[in-house]
Formats: sequence, C-alpha cells, structure tokens
Amino acid sequence: MPFKLLRQGFRRTKALDRILPVQQPLARNYDVIIIGGGGHGLATAYYLAKYHGIRRVAVLERGYLAGGNTARNTAIVRSNYLTPEGVAFYAESISLFKTLSIELDFNIMYSERGHLTLAHTDAAIRTSRWRAEVNKHLGVDSELISPDEIRRLCPQLNLSSKARYPILGALYHPPGAVVRHDAVAWGYAAAAARLGVEIHVDTAVTGIIKDGNRAIGVKTSRGTAHAERILQAVAGSSSHVAEMAGFRLPIRTIPLQACVSQPLKPFLDPIIVSGSLHVYVSQSSRGELVMGGSTDPYPLYASRSTLEFKEGLMAHMLELFPFLAEIKVMRQWAGIADMTPDFSPIMGVTPVDNYFIDAGWGTWGFKATPVCGKRLAEMIANGRPPKLIEPFALNRFQRFVQIGERGAASVGH
Amino acid sequence: MKILNCPLNGPRNISEFACLGEVKTVPPPDAGTADWANFVFTERNAAGLVREWWIHIATNYVFIVDRDTLTEETIRTYRVNDPLLSQSLGPGGTK
Amino acid sequence: MTHPPGHRLPPPMGTLIERQAPLMFSFEGIRYAAYTGDTVASALTANGISVLSRSFKYHRPRGIVSLAASEANTLVEVNGVPNVFAERHILSEGDCIRGQNYLGSLSFDWNAWIGAFGRFLPIGFYYCSFFRPQGAWRFWEPVIRRMAGLGRVNVAAHHGYYDKAYLFADDAIIGGGAAGLSAAIAAAEKGRRVVIVDENPVLGGALNYGRVDADGMRAGDERNRLLARIKTFSNITILAGARCEGCFADNWLSIVQRQRLYKLRAGRVILATGALEQPAVFRNNDLPGVMFGSAAQRLIRLYGVRPGKRAVVLTANDFGYGVALDLADANVDVVAIIDLRHGSPGGVMKSAAAARKIRIDTGAAISEALGRGTVRGVRVVRIEPDGSAGAAFETINCDLVCVSVGFAPNLALAGHAGGRLVYDAQTAMHLPTNLPAEMAVAGSANQHFDLDMAIADGSRAGRGPQGAEQFAGDHSAYGVTHPRPLFPHSKGKEFVDFDEDLTVKDILDTIASGFEDIELLKRYSTAGMGPSQGRHSSVNTIRLTARARGKSETDIGTTTPRPPYSGESFGVLAGRSFDPVRRTPMHHRHLDAGAQMMVAGSWLRPAYYGKTQEADNAIVKEVTSVRSGAGLVDVSTLGKLEIRGPDSPEFLNRLYVTGHLKQPVDRARYGLMTDQTGTIVDDGVICRLAHRHFFVTATTSGVDAVIRSMYLCNAQWQLDVDITNVTAAYAAVNVAGPQSRKILAEVCNDIDLDKDAFPYMGVRVGHVANVLARVMRVGFVGELGYEIHVPAGCGEFIWDRLLDVGRKWGLIPFGIEAQRILRLEKGHVIVGQDTDGLTNPLEIGMGSTAAAKPFFVGGAALNAHAQRGLGRKLVGFKVEDGSLMPKECHLVIEGGEISGHVTSCARSAAVGGIIGLAYVRPHQSEIGENFTIRVDGGRLVSARVVTLPFYDPTNERQKL
Repeated sequence: MPFKLLRQGFRRTKALDRILPVQQPLARNYDVIIIGGGGHGLATAYYLAKYHGIRRVAVLERGYLAGGNTARNTAIVRSNYLTPEGVAFYAESISLFKTLSIELDFNIMYSERGHLTLAHTDAAIRTSRWRAEVNKHLGVDSELISPDEIRRLCPQLNLSSKARYPILGALYHPPGAVVRHDAVAWGYAAAAARLGVEIHVDTAVTGIIKDGNRAIGVKTSRGTAHAERILQAVAGSSSHVAEMAGFRLPIRTIPLQACVSQPLKPFLDPIIVSGSLHVYVSQSSRGELVMGGSTDPYPLYASRSTLEFKEGLMAHMLELFPFLAEIKVMRQWAGIADMTPDFSPIMGVTPVDNYFIDAGWGTWGFKATPVCGKRLAEMIANGRPPKLIEPFALNRFQRFVQIGERGAASVGH
Repeated sequence: MKILNCPLNGPRNISEFACLGEVKTVPPPDAGTADWANFVFTERNAAGLVREWWIHIATNYVFIVDRDTLTEETIRTYRVNDPLLSQSLGPGGTK
Repeated sequence: MTHPPGHRLPPPMGTLIERQAPLMFSFEGIRYAAYTGDTVASALTANGISVLSRSFKYHRPRGIVSLAASEANTLVEVNGVPNVFAERHILSEGDCIRGQNYLGSLSFDWNAWIGAFGRFLPIGFYYCSFFRPQGAWRFWEPVIRRMAGLGRVNVAAHHGYYDKAYLFADDAIIGGGAAGLSAAIAAAEKGRRVVIVDENPVLGGALNYGRVDADGMRAGDERNRLLARIKTFSNITILAGARCEGCFADNWLSIVQRQRLYKLRAGRVILATGALEQPAVFRNNDLPGVMFGSAAQRLIRLYGVRPGKRAVVLTANDFGYGVALDLADANVDVVAIIDLRHGSPGGVMKSAAAARKIRIDTGAAISEALGRGTVRGVRVVRIEPDGSAGAAFETINCDLVCVSVGFAPNLALAGHAGGRLVYDAQTAMHLPTNLPAEMAVAGSANQHFDLDMAIADGSRAGRGPQGAEQFAGDHSAYGVTHPRPLFPHSKGKEFVDFDEDLTVKDILDTIASGFEDIELLKRYSTAGMGPSQGRHSSVNTIRLTARARGKSETDIGTTTPRPPYSGESFGVLAGRSFDPVRRTPMHHRHLDAGAQMMVAGSWLRPAYYGKTQEADNAIVKEVTSVRSGAGLVDVSTLGKLEIRGPDSPEFLNRLYVTGHLKQPVDRARYGLMTDQTGTIVDDGVICRLAHRHFFVTATTSGVDAVIRSMYLCNAQWQLDVDITNVTAAYAAVNVAGPQSRKILAEVCNDIDLDKDAFPYMGVRVGHVANVLARVMRVGFVGELGYEIHVPAGCGEFIWDRLLDVGRKWGLIPFGIEAQRILRLEKGHVIVGQDTDGLTNPLEIGMGSTAAAKPFFVGGAALNAHAQRGLGRKLVGFKVEDGSLMPKECHLVIEGGEISGHVTSCARSAAVGGIIGLAYVRPHQSEIGENFTIRVDGGRLVSARVVTLPFYDPTNERQKL
C-alpha cells in the first residue's frame, strides 16, 4: 500500500487537503481570460501559468467545473490517425498523457489497453492499412492484423465468418488507452489554481467587449472583466460564443450519446471499435462497459437521451459479443459535439484581434486535452500559433482546404 | 422519439426523416471563392430557432422545418413553395 | 394462531405463492425449498438466509433493503446470468443461484479485510496515490481493477430470443397502485384508450402489501373494488410484470416485459409510480436484517414470510406504525417503536399500536446496529434539539430492524422527460416541475400518501387536462418524511450509499476536498453511480451536503435522472437485430454456381465463382475468359434512376461535373458527381433515352446519397423534372468480351447490333430473349460489351438464357474480383477505392474542362482547387516483375517523407506484371518517372509511371 495512503490514514483527524480551489470574486483585469472551464481551457490555463509565467489567468465556466464534454466523453486516448498532421498532434498528446499524473500530482489513471479498430469490409481493410502505414512511418505503433491475431488479443469477440458483418481484420494500436476523464480536468484545475489561476464556475459569458476589431474583455453573469488576450474553448457552444465575438464557424452542433452497463468483473482488456457497426466499447476500471456509437442524426443543443440510439448500439454490440445479451444497460447520457466539415478541429487566430479559438473537436476532443493546453498556451503567450497546430486554422475553409481525416472518421473514437 | 409533421405524409417518427442542413441564401453564380466557401462551410448553427431542409426518406419528399435546437421543439413545417416562408424566423433568425 | 414450520405464515398471507406447488432451487450450491411464485429473495428469507451478496468496495455482507429491486445489495447470479435482482427473479425448479463479489464464500469473504482498512482508503484515494514513480499505476491498476465490478460475465452464455412490439394509447399510466388505477378508471370513463403499465406481477401496488388502516382490512378491499371496476372497461389494456424503463421525447416510452421491448406512443403519460422508502443513516445501517418497513410488509403479505422474530421499528410517520401492526399480526415480537419525532404526533395507526401496548419511544433514534453478518440488536439514543444523536440510553436485542422514516417520490421518468426535481423543504421531498405539457404525476409520486387523497389525485390526473383542479397536498400523518434522518457516528460506517459503500465521512471529505457542487460530488465520490442510480442515496446525500455547506437542500439541487429506470438488457434493446441483406434477383444462381459472396453496402455480390482455397485460379480464369471469349457479371446492385421532364438536361448538367446539356438521344455519357466542396462522391452512366428522359446509374453504395441530393437540389432549383429511384425495379447484367455481340445476337433481333449502327456508348431499347430491355454499349472492363437492364422479375431468366446461348462462345459468369482487375487494366477508377473523402476531379485527371460550364454543384470549389494547384495526382504505375507486390494503401515515399499511396494494385496477365494506381506528388506524375513504394516489412519497391490505360491504350477492343 502506498505510503501516502498510510500517512493519510493515521492522521485522519486532520482536515483533508483541499483539491479544488475556493472561488474568488471576479477581478476587473486579467492577462488572459479563457472562456470554458473544460479540459482544454483548464489545461491551457495550467500551461500558461507553469511554462509561460502568465498567472493572471481567469477560467470562466458557465456551469460546474468541467461539466460539459469533459464529463461526458468515453475517455479513450489514441493517436492512430490518418493524416501526418493528425498523427503528429495526437502522438504528442499521448506522450503528455503518459506523464500527466506526475506532472499534476493527481492520478489520472492512464490505462494502456490496446485499441482495436475492426474492419468488416475490404474497404475498411484498405483504410486500416493506410492508417497503419502512416502511423508506422511517423513512429506510432499501429498494425493491420488478421482475425487469428485478433482472437489472441480479444478471444471474446465473435470472429465467426457467418456473422452479418464478419470481422476481416483490425487496425491494432497498442498505445490506445483509457483515462479517468474527470480526473484530467480536476488535476489541471488543481495544479493551475496552485499556480494562481482563478477558476470561476457558474459564471456565464454573456458578451464579448470589443474596441474596434480587438477583443478586450467579457461580460459575465458575475460582472465584467478585461483581458489582454481571450481564448474561447467551449465545446458544444462554439457557434454561440463566436457569434458574441462577431463571427461564424463551419460547425454543426450534434449530440453524441453513450451508455454504461452495470459493473462486471473485468473480462475485456482492449478497447474495441467497429466503424462499420458504429460501436466502440471499453471496460472501465469500475467494471462497467462504456459504450458509444455515431453522433445523432440531426443538430441539437439538448443533451437528452434517445431509445433508438441504444437499440441500434446494442444490436451491434451483440454482433460482436453475443454472450452479453442478458447484461443490462445502467445509464445513458449525451454530450454536445461541434462537428466540422473535415472532422478536424479549429485552433488558432480568428477574425477578431486578440481573440483565439479552440473549437470543432467533434467527438474526439478529450484525447487532445494535454497537447491542446500546451500548444494553445504557447499560442496565447506568443500571439501566434505554433507550427504543430497551424494546419488547423479557421481560415483553411475560405480556400476550400480541408484536412484529410474525413476518410477515416466514420466512427472517430 | 420525436414526431415530425411532414407536409405530405403527416406526423411521423423522426427516424423516417433526414436533416439536410440549414436553409441558406445562395450566392450569385459569379460570386467569388470566399463567398462560395462561406456559403458551403459556414453555418449559423443557432442555439435556438433554426430553419432547415428535411427529407422524408421513404417518399423522398423535401420540405422545410423551423425548430428550436435548445428544446427540440418543432415550431412549424412548410412545403417548399409555402408563401409563409417569406416571413422571417423570429428573433435572431435569418430567412 | 398456529404457524407453518420455519418462517412461513399461513394464508391469507402469501398472495403470490402457490403452496400446493413446491419446488427446489440451490443457493451457493446448497438446495433449498420454495413455492411457485417465490422470488429468490423471498425464498431465501423463508429459509432463514439474510446475506445475499457482498458489497462493492468493502465486501460487507448485504441483504434485503427495499424488496423492490432498487439496490445492488440483492444482485445475484441466476443460472449464470450476473446482476439479477433477487426480488425480481421468480424461481423455477432447479434454478441455480449464487451470490456475487466475494473471494472464498459468501459467508466468508477473503476480501472482507478491505473493510478493516477503510481508514486507509479515504474517498478518492486512487486519485492521490498509486502513480509514483512513473509507471506505478501500471502495477496497481490491475490489482484495483480485479476488485472492481460485481457480477461475472459468462462468455459462453447463449443469446436467446428477444423481440419488440409497438403500442399506442391516449393515456399511458405508469404504476397500477391506487392512484394509477383511479386515473385509469377516470380516463377510461372519458372513452380514452388506456394502457396501465406495472412492474409487479399483479396490479394494486401498495394495496397488495401495505396497511392503510388500524385493522388492516381496507387496503385489500379498495384493491378489489378498483380492480373490479377496471375489468368493466374494454378500453383499458393492462401490461403487468412490465417495467417502464424510459420516457423519451413526445411521450415515447420504453417498456420491458420479460424478453420483449414495447415501444409505446402515448397522448398523455400519467406517472403513478409511487414513492420509495428512504434509509435512515446510522452506524451499520447496512447489516442484513435492517430493511424498510415496506420490505417487511411485502415479505409478509405477498410471500407469507415472517421477516424476523424480534423487531425494532424506526419510524417518523404513521406508515411505520402500520408496519409495526403488521409485524405484530405476523407473530413478530415488536419490542420497540423508535419515533424520530418529538412530542406525540401521529394518527390512528399510532393509537392502534399504543392500544396493543407496543413500546413507543419518541424523540429517539437508532445510533448503531449491532451484530456481525446479521443484525443482533440496536443502540437507541435520544435526539438532541439540534437533530443530532445524543448519548445511547439503551441497547435492544432484535433480529429485524424496520426503517420507515420517509419517502422519495419516484420521479425518475419525469426526469427523463425533461422535468426538473425541486426539493420542497415543507415536505422534505422532491416536487416535479417543468413537466412536458402532456405529462401528469399522481398519487404518492405527487406526495399524496393518504389513500383517499391518492385515489382523488389519481382521478384528477385521469380526467385531465392536467392541473385543472388543485389539490391542497397531503397533511395526514401517514406519509410524513423526516427532513434529516442522519445520525453520524464517531466510528463511522453509517452508509449513505449502499451500492458504492459510501459513508457520511466520505461525503463530507468529498465536500472538504472542494467537490461541493452536487454534480462534482457525485463524480468524485461516485455517490449515486451504482446500479440503484441513487434511488436510496441521492436525497440523503443532498441533505448531508446541505448541512455541510450551510445551504438549503433546494439550493443544492439534484443530479439529472438518466434512463434507463432500472436496467434494460442488451438483448431486449437489440431485439431480433433486424439488419436485412439485399440480394439481387440472380442471387440463387450465383450460389448454385458456387459463388463466394461478399458484402457490398447492404448487398451481397459474388466475389468469384469457386472454392475459397482456389480463389486465385478462379479469378484468373474469369479474367481470361472475358479477355478471350466472354463473361457475364451481375450488376443489378447499381443504383438506377429515371430523370424525366423538360428540364432534365439542365438538371443533370448542374448536378454532374460532366456535361449533359447537349447529350444526344440514344447516347450514354460518363457522369462524375462532386459535392459542394468539390469532392468526388459518385459516378455512373447517364443515358439519354428520349429528349426529356434520362436513365442514370449510380454506384451501389452511393445511390442513396445521390438520390437524396437530387431531391434536395430540385427542391431548391424548382426545375421541371421528375426523379424516381428504380434501383430495385431492374436487374442488370454486363455481357463483356470479344464474343459478346455474337451472344447477344442469339437472343436479340429488334436491335441492330452492327458496330456502326450501335456504336460504343450507344443506348438502345429493345427485346433481349423477348424481355423488354435497355441495352447500353459501355466498356468498364475494356472489351466489347453490353449492359442489359431488364425488369427485376426477369433477372434470373435473362441470366439463364444468356449463359445458355453463350456457352458455345465460352461465356462464363465472373465476379467482383475479376471485374476489379479488368477495370484496373483499363485504368478506370472506382469511386471510394481510388478516391477518398477529399479527392477532387482534377486529381484524377477529370473536370478540367468543367470550368466552361455556367454552374454546377461543386463548381466554385473546383475553381478554387484549380487556382491553388494540385497537391497530388492519381497515376498508373508498373512494378518490375519479380519484385514484391505492393498492397492497396501502401505508401509512396520520397526523400523519407510520405508523398502518396497506392489505391489499386494487381497482377495482370493481359498487361504482363504488376500494375496499379497511386497518388503521387504532381512532379512525380510525368510518364516515365520512377517513384518508391514501401511494402510489407518496410521493403522499398520501385514503380514507374505509365500511360493509362494499361490495356488496349487505343481503345480498339471496346469499339470492335
């Protein structure tokens, strides 16, 4: 048993260390205001304070801390993307994740499980090979494997050739991991707060204050605050907040649903994804099967649940794992995803001076949390985007340029 | 499961329909690249009232829907040539 | 009064069991007797067994709390199926039941040591430790993970039969207790179609087991009266033993009855879902033998099981006194009633209990339950004026503690439908607000506990419209809820959440750590995240938080209830897994000919004809036959569209990159389609059959999107055209090869097949084997060939006739694999294989003349792409014979960087060697350039750009 627990156990009469900070009144001036107290916003605040010496930072969150998509995602981390720019970006994210518990002094429970993207058609085999080749070229561990190798990694899968959608192969990505998603946000929040960052929850931004084309502050439900630089990182509300700042985005906002089973003794190690069947599943350290599929069929800002989502998902789950028929779904929920035309995010400068954006993360924002924080902090500190995130500029669409993840993103978890 | 009132088929489960995107003003054919890119990519994506193209999949009937994306309420549906469409969508809405 | 042996009570107790039908089952490997109608929980209690499982974290022994399938305590394994509620599973002969979550045996769990180490495992301990040094979590995680989870999955379990059904109702009434039945009667009287849904096997709700008056007769009488009235209505449908698991948009309900999922669409939903008793929080309140008063009542009346011998009742309302009376009637020695309230509140039940000389202590509480494994006694304390527990004044021995200190209205379904639950400090319960217009709440779910009031409230809701009559609320003594039944103990183990083993200290520590918001508190402590979804922990957590933060419960708010209510099995949600496969009209001919079928979108198509182990030979044979004689391929899966009307040329000209405005009648043209971003989305052949009539083919998997975009475009353009999808109406074959004209001539005499009369890319309508057919001379495989479309019903016939007459010319069927090689030799692209999600026409050498067109979809984008210049180009390549064969999607490498990838590659006998298509950088795309492909194993292979097509570069053969 780790020493820290023993120590805590014996001094139990003493007050516990507070992890999250006590909320302060909103000040009039900050160096940087970050709109959105989710994983990305909190991480950016942390890296600004820790590595750029910018500590007069306020993170403004409309609801409770990290209560948006950070609280709702299914916590899968991987870097087996299709485009070199995507792979490079997520590879950095994974390497940051691996040391994050120590960096933040908070256990984010990074659990490497291996990630299998099943291919049920020869087209999916081709795409898997493409991703594997690009990954390997960039030093990311991925390979196209055969049904026999799949059986070795996940003997529970239905590998029958008589299945409606037989499994022909899989893209195997050993570094694929699951993380305790809330812990990432709490860890960043706690570490940022220790460095002097202010976190304001229940603080809704109601307007962006501009001087000409320059953003200089925000109006909030708790008063007005000014800042030299402003970042919006508000997944699920990106278009709404951008409209306040005076520009529009190439984003459609669509719910993404997920559900968990009742807790079961561990039986499934790897993360299993099937693009053709629109399923992804992993077993959490609590023993629950965490399951999701494709986004809802139409735009919506309401995080309601639907029955048809579960009906479709479970039919496909049983294609893969027929023996789960009597296992029960315990809870379902939804997050609100900002989908871009090319299934790639938007990061960088905006038409408004001093106003930066981090948006369009669709269904895969969680896995980019550390790299986003690090690179957005670099951008805000230097006033211009670093090379790694240059390809993701908002103005790419003006020239009909799209990033090539579109081909491989039918189920992008 | 929401019910959507199709102007041709009446109220049906929303799973019988597909959303085809926002109703936008089409630029003139000789508009520049930036205007066309704006038309193709940029969305109003309002949290609130939106006007969209929808299709009833089984009958391939295309029509227009006003709905509220915060409450998932359908405000009204229209045939494509409904004269009422010339009215604006309400606060913050575009035609 | 005499009693049967053991713990059974004589009739009329035990309304759900059939004493004449005994059965045997096993629990933990030991055989026990039960009656038909018994649940696992009732039968075990009757056999004197109170420990059903081990808890999630500390492995504490756990037993019945609610007997209402509401907490993880009673989850057991039934015949290999994990996590089944013991009180829900009705026993069958020979059932094999096991407890869960223990190491060793249920009575001796090796993991119970964890409980003793609780002080070293503070709330959220895993966040603060186990991660140093770097990589330590990799070691600790499996240890912790092995301890997690409850039931064990049987990976050999059989996937049984499940189905689905649809129901419609004017009024759906959830809950068949007094309020629900009254609502049903009132609604049915108005002529509405009513469905009553109740999770219990018989209707009546609490009237079946509860006590509403001093002599204990009225509940049964009222139930009989209501059920008799219900029977007189033909417009009431009853779904008993059916659980409403979710309430979705527009009153769309999911209801599970055994292996069936009902999807019920209701005009109105009336929630008469009752109220759930709530625990009192004191030390060891989780000991088996500590249960809700209503659980004891259920055991007595429904199953004829005496819940204990010596009972203490902890209460704060008249309901609890009714429990005491029921216990006394069941020959249980009620040694004391501990009433949390000061003074002498109470109604008729309390008077009746007093009259029976049962000891009553008011202003007192239980501070601790005593015993190991099961309860052996309680420590009773005075309640101080501030509501906390004072010093213990007495220890009372008992083997049963009935807790009835208040209720939580069962409003989860209201939460699913968007309702918000607001804590009402007056009643110490949550009220539903913000309900959808067509939803009402009635009875104890609406805080009406007194029977007369519940019936009146039900009738009000049943009559509708909602809210027409206001009720003043229930001020009777019967269903009072104590505002703070919380008695923290200096030694802890006062459980707030049984599922997650959370004590008062855990909740307070969570708040002290800064996780004050109720949502954060839930996430950090995991309160309410177990199988009961907070049904018994949420309200006390809120009360505790309010006290700790010095706020009101209303300010603390509540977490949102999410579906499902109790848990839907994967199988019942999936149903019969309706995922149909489309077969072409010639499907069985392919099977008869030994075809290996492959999935193509929703279709099945022949990959090749022959055994799998001889695939390569079979494919080569098919290819050779097409090149030298003739082959026949089923292309029925192609999308087929009719475009009619005066504006049809204009319509197609706007939709496709290719030009169709001046396309002559009787001619076919290749059609290439992009979306508005200039990305290729489909291709096909566009045939002009008449001045105002086109016949268009689309790709197998693309046709649905194509037709949708056609309808959308035409809704916007308002051109005078009519679009019809005739994909399934036509069967189609391609007869291809140098002999194909001779073969067609055998069965076609009203089309002049002469090579000039019916030239390449010509279209004719005529008869093939006396079937009216559309015949187009196209050359996807690069030989003389005809694509023949006939009504789907004639597909088999045409297939047979062509093979029959073609036999002497060497005609054999060929599949997709051969077709892929043949078209590759001809340099034709396959959309979706040689193009990806961003390919524009310029990159595959098309569309450069489209700039001259006035307008087409994707035109603006294509201009932008042209101005920016190409980033890549699709080229044909050849690889030295004898070198390793590249596979599709192997990378093109230049200077150590990725410069492209292979999209198609095959060995070609006709061309000689390995040929393929690949994307390369524009400067690599000149004919004769060499580039490098990285193949399996990282080896590099040199390829040379060659002119397309590889085969028959001057297109002589298709023009024969």
